[in-house]
Amino acid sequence: MPPLVTLDFTQEALLDALLPLDRHGLDALEFGVIGFDATTTVRDYNAFESRMAGLSRERVIGLPLFTAVAICMNNFMVAHRFEEAAETGVALDATIDYVLTLRMRPQHVQLRLLARPGEDRRFVLIQRKPGA
Amino acid sequence: MNAQDALHLLEQEHQALLQFVYLAPVGLVQTRGDGEIVMLNPVAAQLLMPLSRDGLLDNLFTTLQEVAPDLQDRLDTGTPGNGLVCDGLQLSVQVSQDPRPEARLLSFSLIRIDADHCMALLQDVTAQVRREHRLRQQEAWLGAILAGVTDYALVTLDHAGRIVEWNDSIQRISGFSPEAVHGQTLSLFYPSDGITPERVVDHLREADQSGCSLDEGWRVRSDGTRYWGSVLITPLRLAGSEATAAPGTAEAPRAAHAAYCLILRDLSEHRDTAAQARQAAVCDYLTGIHNRRAFFEAAERETRRVKQRPRPLSVVVFDADHFKHINDSLGHPAGDAVLCHIASTLRATFREVDVVARIGGEEFAVLLPSTDLQGAHTVAERFCRRLAASPACTAAGEVPCTVSAGIATMDDCGGDLNVLMQRADQALYAAKAAGRNRVCGLAPGR
Repeated sequence: MPPLVTLDFTQEALLDALLPLDRHGLDALEFGVIGFDATTTVRDYNAFESRMAGLSRERVIGLPLFTAVAICMNNFMVAHRFEEAAETGVALDATIDYVLTLRMRPQHVQLRLLARPGEDRRFVLIQRKPGA
Repeated sequence: MNAQDALHLLEQEHQALLQFVYLAPVGLVQTRGDGEIVMLNPVAAQLLMPLSRDGLLDNLFTTLQEVAPDLQDRLDTGTPGNGLVCDGLQLSVQVSQDPRPEARLLSFSLIRIDADHCMALLQDVTAQVRREHRLRQQEAWLGAILAGVTDYALVTLDHAGRIVEWNDSIQRISGFSPEAVHGQTLSLFYPSDGITPERVVDHLREADQSGCSLDEGWRVRSDGTRYWGSVLITPLRLAGSEATAAPGTAEAPRAAHAAYCLILRDLSEHRDTAAQARQAAVCDYLTGIHNRRAFFEAAERETRRVKQRPRPLSVVVFDADHFKHINDSLGHPAGDAVLCHIASTLRATFREVDVVARIGGEEFAVLLPSTDLQGAHTVAERFCRRLAASPACTAAGEVPCTVSAGIATMDDCGGDLNVLMQRADQALYAAKAAGRNRVCGLAPGR
């Protein structure tokens, strides 16, 4: 098993660093990771995110991300950006301020959206804001 | 059951409950009495995030202040103890960063739970409203056919919208004699500032494309009196008159007759509750002029028409000068009276066919079909001079008021409504910066 790496939410080439990680590797990270495929089916849901959302991994893997798991992200700010990037064949690496509704309380976060043409696996990463 | 099992069961139930609320297909928000958000579900965030100017969702009223500026007022003056504050209020949402050009429609309801708690419900009803609009058009069509003969006039029009021949029903409904009707287009039935030659062609083309065109609004009789009426136009395809003849041959003139059927109804007796509800949905709560939703719907329709049949289209946005100062020093009732005065002066200055709307707290917009930049500048100037010369009458005495105005025209915007509104906003900003109480337009190419 490769040594567990600690990655930084803001580091360059983060997509390259995430792709080779297995479940244990993703669970070791200190920010939320949701990995999904071109059909928006959730493939990765790490321990950090599971703890934050209060949802077990089993409830989430295999479901469509934007309609069954992260409905609050189903708008032009998040979901459509992945569609647009795929349609126009452009790489996506965007960090935005957002508000999540975990346990129905507004929670200020930063989202980082990662995708690359030709790569089936894409990611939404979630970092809680300091003091949030 | 031991404590361990009980805890496990509780955990399972908690997760199931969370999932249930996560997947609720409507937006739910719980707030305090001042709009501070206490709890909200995912659909609420999905719908509200695009509206948030500061990237936060701390206060519901602040987030919605551009599309619904009066919420705190409605809450405070509505139901003091508890109850429904507003039910299914339709908010038109147009976010400039959203690549889709058309406005979304949100349905918003607010319920006061107790002195310090409110519950809000949000839903995206864009598709539903479009379906209902088509249904209303069909119902109107059916109503026109089924109503008694005395209720409507049947008029035949040629390919250019000119009235082909007179009949009794025309005189009965509109008062026009055979001589008055001869050589006139359907614009005869409209007030002179209520229709343009381009709009006449729009109605005919809409009838060609969707099978019928329906237009409800102010009409005028031969004696000059106004009445609320509807004009329904359908294409007439007479057997054997399909345009197979080559232009310029002897066949062509005959095909020029009787191309459309127009049904004119006087709706004065028929202002039913459904019509009143429709009226309420397009009017601004305070001033009675069009609201933001009605403005953007009309602007989108006109943008589509301009794409198909190019002609000028301009917009003016107005913002009351020093309005915060007026509210702070004279109180909100005086501020409201100033807004109403601006609205009624706008309505009196612009044409019937122009769409005069309140699109924000102290922001107004006027859509000017078939008007170029120079024309827009002239009438906007005239309005500004008129307003500056007539103070508003309020309970706090006479209040002088002025506005700053930004104009923009579609020719500089590549047919994009978002760009048109952005340019008007930029011009408005320039007017403010240059000292207020004036009209500004950006130079083309800027």
